[in-house]
Amino acid sequence: MKFQRKRLLSQILIFFSANLGYQGLPGLKTGFCYPFFYCNACPAATSACPLRAFEQSVDKGSFAWRIFLYPFLILGFMGVTTGRAICAWACPIGLLQRGTGRVARHWRKYKVVQKIGRMDIEHYFRYTKYLLLISLVFVTSYLIGFVFTDICPVGFLTGTIPTLLLYPGKFVPNFFFSIALVIFILFLILIFTIERGWCRYFCPVGAFLAPFNKISFLHIEVDTKDCTHCNVCSYNCPMAIDVPTMHRDPECILCGKCVTACPQKHISFKKV
Amino acid sequence: MKKLLAVQITALLLIAGGLVSMWVVTPAYSEIKAGIVDVLCLSCLKLQPKTSSEFVFATANNESHPSFVFDNLTRGIVFLEWSGDSCLGCDIMFPVIQDLFDLTYDKQDMVSRHLVFEGNNITFYYTNIHHAIPERVSSQFIYDKDHVNGIPMFTVVTLGYDHGTVRPMYTTLYGTLLLDTDAERLALLTDILEQSIQIYHENSEGFHH
Repeated sequence: MKFQRKRLLSQILIFFSANLGYQGLPGLKTGFCYPFFYCNACPAATSACPLRAFEQSVDKGSFAWRIFLYPFLILGFMGVTTGRAICAWACPIGLLQRGTGRVARHWRKYKVVQKIGRMDIEHYFRYTKYLLLISLVFVTSYLIGFVFTDICPVGFLTGTIPTLLLYPGKFVPNFFFSIALVIFILFLILIFTIERGWCRYFCPVGAFLAPFNKISFLHIEVDTKDCTHCNVCSYNCPMAIDVPTMHRDPECILCGKCVTACPQKHISFKKV
Repeated sequence: MKKLLAVQITALLLIAGGLVSMWVVTPAYSEIKAGIVDVLCLSCLKLQPKTSSEFVFATANNESHPSFVFDNLTRGIVFLEWSGDSCLGCDIMFPVIQDLFDLTYDKQDMVSRHLVFEGNNITFYYTNIHHAIPERVSSQFIYDKDHVNGIPMFTVVTLGYDHGTVRPMYTTLYGTLLLDTDAERLALLTDILEQSIQIYHENSEGFHH
């Protein structure tokens, strides 16, 4: 089986296993946290969103160390072993962006888009996700209570919409619904215009996992000595990384597209 | 290279050891399950459950009424409040219920009180699902009339006449009751309590405990 097909199969299988908790079926509800971004308010969710657990751990000036440490260790374990591979191989939002990425890639042929992509400021935009993780998940939760869960576009997609469809007339929008709807529409525009736009700029779980790329066992290595800098790898990279110069880049999601694209086979997965 | 490997192995051992310890030694797994996964997060949903004050006989999960409710029905109606940590709706409703019964208690308490409401005996139970005994926590699912599985949740149990027998009858309200002000919430709850008390008085003589 081709490498990228294996990845697709992994994403689909994990998507289904993340959704075994529907009440009508056996309803597998566990006490695990997802090691990726998925909402526990989804009617079929089996586990907790790690960000929800983080928020709850510091809610309104409290500190519940077990609720904080538990998702931290689950994400940390995945981070140390596989870095950000979760984003490419397991995350359902990654699977969604895999689909929308084809549309986003289409825009790349326009010169204005290429120009924007090459702007220095693009690099700095990538820090937004770290800012979101610290400010909206931790600081606002500690100071005033939940904010991120109230406006989260992933929660809207995986929790709000399925709930409204499955239980019509049972719920009505709350105060944050309209704000979340606007953010969700922006989220859709983002993922249809920028390949892996959510992962690149906004995903707080990606921000948490990113630093682990520096020490993860699994990583991607480029044979810089023999690399001809043809840039086929960079062209194929959904995270728009300059692959030939990358070394344990925090942005790398280990999708392996560069590995399969390299005509000289100078890029490979390493396990230590 | 050797330095990195040392860092990797140390990090892996620390994290894996910590994780296994959390599963074995601490209740983190059950806290996450009971506190986040099993309970619907209305904040994550950006939705509020529709509230109807219709009284029904059948319990939500077909289990019988818990003994702490059933036993107290001989002295009057029973009011139950379920709340939890990190729940905006619970925070909004918390002072409303305290006002309703002129009570004071902390959010993490587990409260059981016999009260007098407008001259009538009632029994009040407050349960924070994150800090209560399993019997009280699981009772939420018995009264989750509309299968919302979310908090805050309020149930009034009274006695109703059903095909020749008098038996417990209840209604359950959810969230912030789809109302905007505390005064409106208080008025609605007062109405439901008064209605429940009236129904109770009509049927209590036929109740054989």
